[in-house]
Amino acid sequence: MGRPGLAHPAACGAGVAVAAEMTTSRLARAAGDGAGKQTRRTIWSGVLAGLGLAAFADETVFHQLLHWHHFYDKSTLAVGLVSDGLFHAGGFIAMVAGLFLLADTLRRGGFVPKRWWAALLLGAGGFQLYDGIVQHKLLGLHQIRYHVTLWPYDLTWNLIAVVLIAAGAALMTGRAGIAGSAMFRSDADTAA
Amino acid sequence: MLDLIPAALTLLADAGYGLASCRLSRRGHRWPRRRAACLLAGSLCVAVALLPPVASHDYLFPVHVVQHLLLGMAAPAFLALSAPVTLALRTLPRRMRRALLRGLHSPVITVLAAPATAVTLDLGGLYALYLTGLYQAAEGDSLIHAAVHLHMFLAGCLLSWALIGIDPVRRRPGTRMRLAALVIAAAGHDTLAKLMYAWTLPAGGGPATARQQGAGLMYYGGTAIDVALAVIVMTQWYLATGRALARSRRRPAAAEP
Repeated sequence: MGRPGLAHPAACGAGVAVAAEMTTSRLARAAGDGAGKQTRRTIWSGVLAGLGLAAFADETVFHQLLHWHHFYDKSTLAVGLVSDGLFHAGGFIAMVAGLFLLADTLRRGGFVPKRWWAALLLGAGGFQLYDGIVQHKLLGLHQIRYHVTLWPYDLTWNLIAVVLIAAGAALMTGRAGIAGSAMFRSDADTAA
Repeated sequence: MLDLIPAALTLLADAGYGLASCRLSRRGHRWPRRRAACLLAGSLCVAVALLPPVASHDYLFPVHVVQHLLLGMAAPAFLALSAPVTLALRTLPRRMRRALLRGLHSPVITVLAAPATAVTLDLGGLYALYLTGLYQAAEGDSLIHAAVHLHMFLAGCLLSWALIGIDPVRRRPGTRMRLAALVIAAAGHDTLAKLMYAWTLPAGGGPATARQQGAGLMYYGGTAIDVALAVIVMTQWYLATGRALARSRRRPAAAEP
């Protein structure tokens, strides 16, 4: 399943899609179609799990534990609630789908750890950036914290997103290091 | 009397299911126990939702939400996994089986079973119930009340069958389509719960705190059930691709002399 049907256009950011596309096509040329498909699946698994992880962390840490974010604040527009609903639902479904895709690539022996971690960082950073710029600022969904000077929080939030994306991009464009994945090799190698 | 009809129908359906699976086992075929267990769990959800103490207190909005989660989401999911249509097709006399198949393959059922229709009917019913005056009307009229419950249950069944159903239907949607439908259904449900919280709806839902408590319950309860649905969709995909993988690995070995 090349592209699972979670294609909210902003969900992973154009950058993630382009990076994934570039890497997979290069690897596909290098190692034949099967390996390319496995790498693509690894990357999708990482992106989906990263999205889910960021959404989950946001929900538990900021909403439930710290009570910084509010479930709803009075200034929210209906469009903000729709976006929030889509990301809340899309986030956990992405996490579930990503973990099952991970299990599948492990089962087939096609898991590429470095690409998976890269994709995880890109997915998490993409969500964080979307949350920080579009949801908090443009849609005014809710703020990071209330009754404080807001801009240091916003700056930190979005800087973390940028760092996550940069780290993911660096890992994604570096060497795949497939040889290092021996511990994840499964019976697929002996079968092939 | 109207209150006891759903419980009686559920008992009747369970008895039919039990008889059919016994008939199957007399013929030497085993009907999977987990399917029967799913039927019992689904029936239990229906019974808890529509019998006292839940049904007798559903004028309290949070209790109504529990009813909604059980009747419209949990029960249909369990029932879809119990594969009653498959059981019927395997045990009914030939003439009735043909009639059932004709019905299943009819354009009406094909359209109703499509994920887009199921999502629309399910979400449409909920938005109409909570954002318009329908909830208040149902509180005052037992017939509307019953109709709302029936629609909630049937639309939930359509959606559950489209998402995780294992009964044979024409054009079973693929995994991506089912995940997309689940995202839309879950997002629509979450958004509605937050709208209700924001606007202290539905009208007729009692004091504002009760309405907001109910909306929060709907949000988190719905999320829990939707996560379970996502796990089931992906488990079905994982098992199906696993079977295909095992077949493709067996094939070259079998070709050798």
